Amino acid sequence: MKKYRFKIFLILAIIGLGIYFLYPTIQDYFNSKEIQKVLQERKETYLKEHPNAKPAELDRYLTQIEDSIRNADPSIKKAREKRIKLGLDLQGGMYIVLEVNTLKLLEKLAKNPDENFYEILKATENIVKVSEEPVVQVFAQEAKKRGIRLSRYFGEIRDDDDKIISMLEKQAEDAVTRAQEIIRNRVDQYGVSEPSIHLSGSRRIIVELPGVARKEEARQLLQGTALLEFNLVKDPEFTFALLEKINKVLAGKPLEDTLVKDTAKADTTKKSPDQMTKEEFEKEYPLFTVAVPNPQSQTADLFVRENDRTKVEMMLNRPEVQNVIPKDVKFVWSAKPEFYAEGQGIYRLYCVKATPELTGGVITDARATLDPQNSSPIVTMEMNAEGARDWARITGNNIDKRIAIILDGVVFSAPTVRSKITGGRSQIENIGTLEEAKLLEIVLKAGALPAPVEIIEERVIGPSLGQDSIQKGLTSAFLGGLFVIIFMLIWYRTAGGVADFAVILNVFFILAVLAGFGATLTLPGIAGIILTIGMAVDANVLVNERVREELKTGKTIKAAIDAGYSKAFSAIFDGNITTFFTGLILYQFGSGPIQGFALTLMIGIAATLFTQLFVTRLIFDVFVEQGKKPNFG
Amino acid sequence: MRLFENINIDFLGKRKTFYIISISLIVLGLISVFVKGLEYGIDFKGGTEVIVSFNKPVQLADVRTAASQIGIGNVEVKTYGTTAENVLIRTPLQEISQEQFDRIVVNIKKAIEEVIPETLYSVKDKATNSIVFTFSSPDTAKFIVDQLLSKGFQAGLFSQEETNRDIIVRVGVSDLIREGLKNKFTNYSFEVIKEDKVGPKIGKELRRDAVIAIFLSLIVILIYLGFRFKFVFGVGAVLALFHDVLVTLGFVSFFNGLIPGLNLEITQSIIAAFLTLVGFSVNDTVVVFDRIRENLKIHKTMDLKDLFNMSINRTLSRTILTSGTVFLVVLALLLFGGEVNRGFAFTFMIGIITGTYSSIYIASAIVYDWTMKRKKGKIEF
Repeated sequence: MKKYRFKIFLILAIIGLGIYFLYPTIQDYFNSKEIQKVLQERKETYLKEHPNAKPAELDRYLTQIEDSIRNADPSIKKAREKRIKLGLDLQGGMYIVLEVNTLKLLEKLAKNPDENFYEILKATENIVKVSEEPVVQVFAQEAKKRGIRLSRYFGEIRDDDDKIISMLEKQAEDAVTRAQEIIRNRVDQYGVSEPSIHLSGSRRIIVELPGVARKEEARQLLQGTALLEFNLVKDPEFTFALLEKINKVLAGKPLEDTLVKDTAKADTTKKSPDQMTKEEFEKEYPLFTVAVPNPQSQTADLFVRENDRTKVEMMLNRPEVQNVIPKDVKFVWSAKPEFYAEGQGIYRLYCVKATPELTGGVITDARATLDPQNSSPIVTMEMNAEGARDWARITGNNIDKRIAIILDGVVFSAPTVRSKITGGRSQIENIGTLEEAKLLEIVLKAGALPAPVEIIEERVIGPSLGQDSIQKGLTSAFLGGLFVIIFMLIWYRTAGGVADFAVILNVFFILAVLAGFGATLTLPGIAGIILTIGMAVDANVLVNERVREELKTGKTIKAAIDAGYSKAFSAIFDGNITTFFTGLILYQFGSGPIQGFALTLMIGIAATLFTQLFVTRLIFDVFVEQGKKPNFG
Repeated sequence: MRLFENINIDFLGKRKTFYIISISLIVLGLISVFVKGLEYGIDFKGGTEVIVSFNKPVQLADVRTAASQIGIGNVEVKTYGTTAENVLIRTPLQEISQEQFDRIVVNIKKAIEEVIPETLYSVKDKATNSIVFTFSSPDTAKFIVDQLLSKGFQAGLFSQEETNRDIIVRVGVSDLIREGLKNKFTNYSFEVIKEDKVGPKIGKELRRDAVIAIFLSLIVILIYLGFRFKFVFGVGAVLALFHDVLVTLGFVSFFNGLIPGLNLEITQSIIAAFLTLVGFSVNDTVVVFDRIRENLKIHKTMDLKDLFNMSINRTLSRTILTSGTVFLVVLALLLFGGEVNRGFAFTFMIGIITGTYSSIYIASAIVYDWTMKRKKGKIEF
């Protein structure tokens, strides 16, 4: 045993690692089951209380409950993030490919487009419909063919074609990044779990929304033009009074006592917040227990942990709370968590004036740069004449106040107005990093020139279809595996049992690796696992047949096993490696489902080589060492 | 238990017979491919595919007439899965024609008229698959969107701005299909359970990728086997693979449409099956070659034909066993794997049979003949 100690330790360590990777998946499975049970109960009680509830209302109610359960306990969320991800084909959802319409962009950028321009545009359209060439290049070629200089429509008269082409390319590229950022922002707000948004080629954006079946909503989400607004942030005095009121409502206190009376009373009969115990404070200030104002800062912004967001939203959405919030005021979240504590993002909640002072249509340009004076990141923006006039009035009236820059309902920045800005050129300072400045640039431009985004491919996979498929895929994998396990036991006896163990370990490793790398399991992936089972069985059969042959020549069991393994090695190795190469090429050149298949196949082959050439060998060696004679059937 | 113990079949002696069998299978298959053709799935052709689930079984013929009356060209209608409620409707059309676009726009306008008679609006913008209307006030726009949605149009507000007066209505093939079915099947209810829209460009990319992938795999196999064995073994394996792929392709073409519930058009998952079969078959062949290589080192003076036969015979039980177990696993997938996996399983199953056959009868025979011709009967390691 001693000489195998290291190998046994190694195998156990790898198994341990596998369990570590797979544990969240198992945890998530049980969590989901538990949540489903709670939801079912809630659904029944809700239907009893509201017999006439519309399906959409019920749906909204249940989603809210589910969100709050999932967000309340960080461990549930963590398990979900780390589980094996299921592909769209397995859990249903939407797969959308968007393409930025560069042609429309060119049309909008062009100055004085004439007959010729539209002719060139039409010709370009016909070409790019069937080819992969960059639109701007094609357009330039078409223009050249007709002997027209690009400066006729773009840029300055003196500019040569190359300069205009690179300018237009920059614009087109910009439009794609902007569209991507807007989509990401909206999807984030929409709250889809595990959305995937990535670029494909130069102007296509692939969006995968697992679990989303409401197509119209998703389309709206992805296609509508971005909404950029500038809203005044309310004064801290006003906001604190309002928050105080909301706390009272939530604590179930009568609202008749005016604020003044209440403070007076508090002086004599009540303790100040610092003296209260935790429970007392929670009872008195339900909102402040989850949404914390920063006493050091000059503002009344609330800071909310990621997990508490839904809780705060539910508090604010309560009808009695809505009653005390004035109509001209609204609460808006920050777009991204601003700080992190204990692995959790902390969001800021702003209280702003409900009607925007200005909307984004007036912005003509924005640029992230470094301030030449102190080289800190800044963003400059320019407005058209109409916007500049309004902006001068707005900034003039609100010096030292903050204006929130809101894109699609979330705040990206809330700079303070220093002075009246005339001429339409403004500068936003106090930005943490250049990256944040870049983001703000994109946000500001989003309201400028709308780059039309068109859906060119759209796949909706009904969740029922997905559920069905996963069940069938799993059942067949299980049944297939069972056949093989029983067959091997009958055919090879002990050795068959060892082989079965190896095959099961193999599947376990594949799943663990998938979980560990955060890869996504798809239907073709399941097919890949099934093929791996076949290959692993093949390796076992090769070894066992070889050992049998060697036993027949009269060798001892130990010698037969040694010879069997060493002779089967090259066949197993060469066969698997050739298949591995095929997988590698599939992964490189295939797309979507083929890649998923190739990935699981490659992982499977690696696992097969490990379990076959290492694990089973060790088991037999230990058997022999202990004086046992494994039966090869 | 034992299989094929102490057997000694003269496989190479009958190789001419097997060449003839294989060549006729390939020729028959290619005839089927050329006459009947291969049916490309939506992934490759581009187009729109809608799977509709009715609340009760429908007559396919009725759906077919309804669909063909919509006027979107060559519409395919089939059952999806084994139930009579699910129908797959497919059209190769990617964009609808100007005329149809205008027709739908007329319908939309009519619907708007119905909602608010004599309301003022204008067409702001037209794209290939959508149209934008501007209304007199933001509230009108919101109201119209809701009403259009409930009438089955895919409408939405153009932007979320308070002052937004524009609405965008999508105009697409699937809208035509939905609309046409709604009019014909008034006493049925249905829902669209799956809707795929694929551009022809994407199809072209996929096709190119798949072809590149297959050829590169073959080249890599040739190189790897040439490096690990001898070049001639690489040639044998690759030719055997061509054989397997061609025979399977013939079967796929022949059986497509013959068995109900079995969808054998060329989709990504069928491509995956072909590539799996390449991997599987080469693995199978390599094991036999490995044994030949081993025996060549031991029995240096043995007659090449006997040596090849011996190697094949000695690995026969293993070849049959592993192919048999993999066959069982894939059989489970075919029977229980559901519609989506069935095409894959069937193709791969044919592949296992031809792959096993070619490892036993074809691959070594090619190596043998090649060696006898070129190297005068000698292979040295």
